[in-house]
This record gives sequence, C-alpha cells and structure tokens, in this order.
Amino acid sequence: MTGVDDRPEDQLAQHLRELDASDAHARSERMDELFTALKAECQKSDRTVAGFLRSRSTMARRLIVLGVFSGLAITGWHLFPIVGDHARTIQWTTSLVTFCVLLLVAMIMVTRPVHLPELPRWQSVCLICLAIGAPILAAFWPYPAAQAATHDHGGSVMAGACMGVGILLGVPVYALLRLVDRGNAFGSLVAAAAAGVAGNFVLKAHCSVPGTSHELLGHASVAVLFVLGLGLVHRWMPSR
Amino acid sequence: MEAYVHGDDAAFRALFERYAPILLRLTRRHLRDDELAEEIVQQTFFRLHGARNDFRPGSKLRPWIMTIAMNLVREHWRRAKRRKMTSLEVDTQAAPEADLMPMELRQRSELLHVALEKLPTSQREVVELHWFQERPYAEVAQIIGTSEGAVRVRAHRAYATLKQLLVLEIRGDE
Repeated sequence: MTGVDDRPEDQLAQHLRELDASDAHARSERMDELFTALKAECQKSDRTVAGFLRSRSTMARRLIVLGVFSGLAITGWHLFPIVGDHARTIQWTTSLVTFCVLLLVAMIMVTRPVHLPELPRWQSVCLICLAIGAPILAAFWPYPAAQAATHDHGGSVMAGACMGVGILLGVPVYALLRLVDRGNAFGSLVAAAAAGVAGNFVLKAHCSVPGTSHELLGHASVAVLFVLGLGLVHRWMPSR
Repeated sequence: MEAYVHGDDAAFRALFERYAPILLRLTRRHLRDDELAEEIVQQTFFRLHGARNDFRPGSKLRPWIMTIAMNLVREHWRRAKRRKMTSLEVDTQAAPEADLMPMELRQRSELLHVALEKLPTSQREVVELHWFQERPYAEVAQIIGTSEGAVRVRAHRAYATLKQLLVLEIRGDE
C-alpha cells in the first residue's frame, strides 16, 4: 500500500476521494454481459490459427518465427544460386549480416509480451528508418570491377523482376509476424519493415545484377513499398 | 491465475469479477466515456487471455493487467490524436452515473475531472495508479515502464499542479 508520507495534502486528498467515490459504480448485470461477450470473443479467437499462435508463450512464439525464417533461408540458399565468388565481398557480407540483425530486432519487437510497458515510439521509428535506410546505403556501395563487367546494361532492366520477387518473399514474413503479434503498438509497421528487410536479404544473396540504379529501383524499393503501403493501410484501416 | 492458465474457466470468471471493476474505474477516469472504457476493459482481458502462457507461477497479476490496460489507453489516445479528435468531444461526455450524484458532488467531481485532464498524460497515469489504485511507487514504475525516482517526481509535480488548479477553479467559481 502507499505510504502516508507519499500522499497529497489533506484538502487535495479529500477532493480526490470524492472523485473516486463518484466513479465507484459498476453494475453487476452489465459486468455479466461484458464477460459473456469477452468469453465468446476468446473462444472464437482460440479456434483460429492466429489465436493459437498468439496464445503460445513468448519464447515459443520467437522459436516458431526463428524456425520458419531459418527454414526459408536455408531452403532458398540451397535451391537458388547465390551470387558468384567475385561478388562475395566484405560489403556483401556486411549487408547480409545487417539485414539479419534488423530482422531479428524486428521479430523481438513484434513478439514483445503485452504485459510489459510498450516500447518508446522512437525505437520503432528508428527500426523502420534503418530498414529503409540500410538497403539504400547498400545500393551506393561500389561493386567489384569483375562483377560490374558481367552486365553491360544499366541494371534497371531487371529492377521490376527483383522488386516483384522481393515483395513476394516479404509477404509470408509479414503474415507470420502479424500472426504472432499480440497487438503491440506499431506492430504492423515493424512487421512491414521486417518484410522489406527479408526481401532485401534474399535479393542481396541471390541477385548478381550490379548497379546503384538497379539496387535502388529493384531492392530498396521493396522496403519502401512495404512500409509506405502498409503504413497507409494501417492509417486508414487501424486494427482493433 | 494459475488455475486459469491450466484451463479452468471458472477461474477466468473469478479474475474478471475481481479485476474488471478496478479496470473500469481506471479507464473511465482516463477516457470519460463509459462505452469506450468497457471496450478497453474487454480488450485488456482478451489480451490477458492471449498472454496467459507467459504468466509465471508466483508472479503478481495486478501489474500485468494494469500494464495491459495502460498500454491500451495510451494506444487509444494516440489513435484519437491521429484522427484529430478534439478535446472538446471528450469534454462533452457525461460523467459516469452523473444522474445519481448530488449536485454539489457532481460539480466537484467535474472540477476534479477537468483538473486531472489538464495534467500531462505521464503525470495523470501516476496519480491514477498511485492515488486511485493505491499502488506503491515501485509498482507504478513497473507498470508504466520507468524508474521509481521518475515516478516520484511526476507524482510530486502532479499533486502540486492539481492543488494549484483546484484552488484556481474554486476561486473562479466563487
């Protein structure tokens, strides 16, 4: 209980008590109605995939997401050809590691337990900015001469294809993160940023087309489209 | 709570009966809208239902529920702000059960509501949890996610501001 010394002075305390008394009405029949509606909502939710996933413990939800991400990454790595030896530079590795770290942080933010105070807004904004900024920065890193020589076109030719593939790969990531999100503030936008980063990770690993214009139009645009598109959807149609 | 985690439906009802009235008072004071307050209480329990497997035996449930409710209230205000809801719309809501209160009590209650609404959200949360919910500073800090020292400072400032505002309001009425 609160200590006596911490309480406000008598007059103010009296006023506060009056306010408390005036708000003390709660009708039992209304509470019954509320509980019945709540029970029905909980039962309905328990029957859905999202309800099942969200009610797993935080550790279980994180392991599920990590398992799916790892499975997808390993399958993709082995099924599709990754960039040639000449393109596997330090910058390339750094980009992949950065995307991995961003994806991990986004996953931790989205699966944050709801009984903890919500994260400050700036942390979510920071992650979203990094998710958009990192692919843009990666696009400006110079390519090794050997890789640049393998393509004689401007690079923007294949940008549409890369953008399509990136978006296609980001959708399941976004869907999975939304399925395990219990309703954190900015959860939708953070999941969108994660989808953009996941798309960029795959494109960076497999796309050997060099050129800043190609990376900006085909790779970085994936993150921008996810965040802007879902941001607008989130703004106009906020979830409950 | 442990019984509820293990699937006991009656335990869920018992939890609702115990905590829903407390949450309803908390959210009504913050929102001044009965319907919205009830929706937030339902949503709080809905989230608690989803998060039940995170509960560790021996933990305290009250800070859990309070934190979920406070997060929802903040989210509501953020959305309301985004929708450019004016404070006038909120001010015009009737005080809960106003018809059953004597005129003088209603006026005083109104004065206090107005004074509380003038406090910054961070201070109002502290007054709500510390005074009305009688939570110790350490628990308030845990619920709103800050240090105990910061909570003490906010409470001190809030009570000083409230006192000032009430004196001004009462003088204004006279």
